[in-house]
Amino acid sequence: MATLADILDPTGRATARIGATARAPRRTGLTGVRLGLLENTKHNAALLLDELAALLQSEHGASATVLRRTKTAFALPLPEETLAELVGECDVVLTGVGDCGSCSASAVADGIALERAGVPAAVICSDAFTATASGMAEVQGAPGYAYLTTAHPVAILDADAVRERARQLLPQVVATVTDASAQRVAS
Amino acid sequence: MTLQADAPVAVPDADPEAAQAAIEHCYAQDWSDGLPLVPATRTLVDRFLATVDRQPDEVIGTLPHLNRSVTLELAAINAAMAGCRPEYFPVVLAAWEAIQRDRSATGGGWQSTSGPSPLLVVNGPVRRELGFNAAGGAFGPGFRPNMTIARAIGLMVRNALGVVPHGFEQATQGLPGRWQVCLAENEEESPWEPLAVEGGVPAGTSAVSGMLTRTVEYVDNRHTADPEQLLADFADTISRSGAAIFRHHPAGIVFCPEHAQLLAGAGMSKADVRAWLVERCGRSKADLARVGKDGVGDNGVRFADGGTDPGAFDRLFATDGPEALPILVAGARNAGISMVVRVFSGWSASSVPVVGRTTPSTPVGAAQ
Repeated sequence: MATLADILDPTGRATARIGATARAPRRTGLTGVRLGLLENTKHNAALLLDELAALLQSEHGASATVLRRTKTAFALPLPEETLAELVGECDVVLTGVGDCGSCSASAVADGIALERAGVPAAVICSDAFTATASGMAEVQGAPGYAYLTTAHPVAILDADAVRERARQLLPQVVATVTDASAQRVAS
Repeated sequence: MTLQADAPVAVPDADPEAAQAAIEHCYAQDWSDGLPLVPATRTLVDRFLATVDRQPDEVIGTLPHLNRSVTLELAAINAAMAGCRPEYFPVVLAAWEAIQRDRSATGGGWQSTSGPSPLLVVNGPVRRELGFNAAGGAFGPGFRPNMTIARAIGLMVRNALGVVPHGFEQATQGLPGRWQVCLAENEEESPWEPLAVEGGVPAGTSAVSGMLTRTVEYVDNRHTADPEQLLADFADTISRSGAAIFRHHPAGIVFCPEHAQLLAGAGMSKADVRAWLVERCGRSKADLARVGKDGVGDNGVRFADGGTDPGAFDRLFATDGPEALPILVAGARNAGISMVVRVFSGWSASSVPVVGRTTPSTPVGAAQ
């Protein structure tokens, strides 16, 4: 006679991946760093990243050289060639905005991929998508991966409000991609 | 359509309380979509696998970014749990493949805030063999193959792909009938070629077509015998501004037999119907400006521009083909009530033949 233990599992769930560390080495400051901006076509994403880049240049000495890339398949992790390009030409990458069910998860996957390739990344998601963003961090074998959140919604903000968001996010972005955050996360 | 006469159910030793415990066990594992599951055992799942000449470890779908995949074995387990009979399995596999051909299904659609749901359409003799409902109440419920095959797809996404509500599934509201719509086309009362023919499968061959959808909206018109008035009623529903998020978007129509026959009686083919609607569906910039959607960005997404020419007209459809405006016939011939389907990103226009044994190996009603 069959028992409950004979009921088949419909998930085929893979054992959790033990991932490599998802943390690239940090610099102590941002003077002269080449920024990469990976925007995901979500409304206001490009503007938010541009505003952050301008603040990092004017207030933290980041280089005027900025590599801007658009992720057209926003729901999926970024293509290998884009990853290689960002890794090859940037010291720090900002990406976002994780403002939907699939793109929030994929933004976190991108951040983790960049970190594993040696580039510090600041991933910005709307705070309505922490479940899926954190879920992706677990899938990638990096539970607890520190992404940044900004209040939902982002897409309907006007340009001034986006600038204000960039201003609010700036200290967290700096802390995330520099050595100071290593102290913070470790503590 | 009726299935073979049911044989008497011979299960003298069945223990209803054990069945209840097994159902609760499945809930406790978080495998359920909220409704009871049939506990799947090796014996039962092997009956599913025996209907097709394929290997159980064959991978039939993956979401690499979630590190998950669907094998034939997992499809069979989920189909069994959904309440399918073993001989439905070839249809489940065709339905799955048809949905895989929707670019959204592999492009993050299951995780979308829009919470899209598959619309499955079955054509050919398998409708009669398995007892699908193609007539009254076509959208369900009430009929086992229609309901359980649609549910099987949902369980595969939930369990095998791991896209679970409040986790990777981020539907804001979802939609009524999610994982519940498997239409059988009413070919007998349709004046037009079956949908699968437009999907590249010859008439008379059993096949499944599939597309992701956001909802359905009825058009009740028992008021006119004029084909243009009738189509104008459809154009109004199709052109609703709430559904306009991009420059263009697709829509489908599931015509009732009465509407389809009225149009065909006026000499219109499916292509004629599409051409008429493609010409007229859409909104003026003034209408779109009123709802903040008159602008169209480089990426095709609408936005509140406010400076567009109010007299200009934005056509809704990008093309006049079945991929942008799929048309089929289902339901009873008892009223002029049809359904506009909000297609998520378009139909692949590629239908999948049903391959396998779609007859029972044991008498219907016997213990599986």
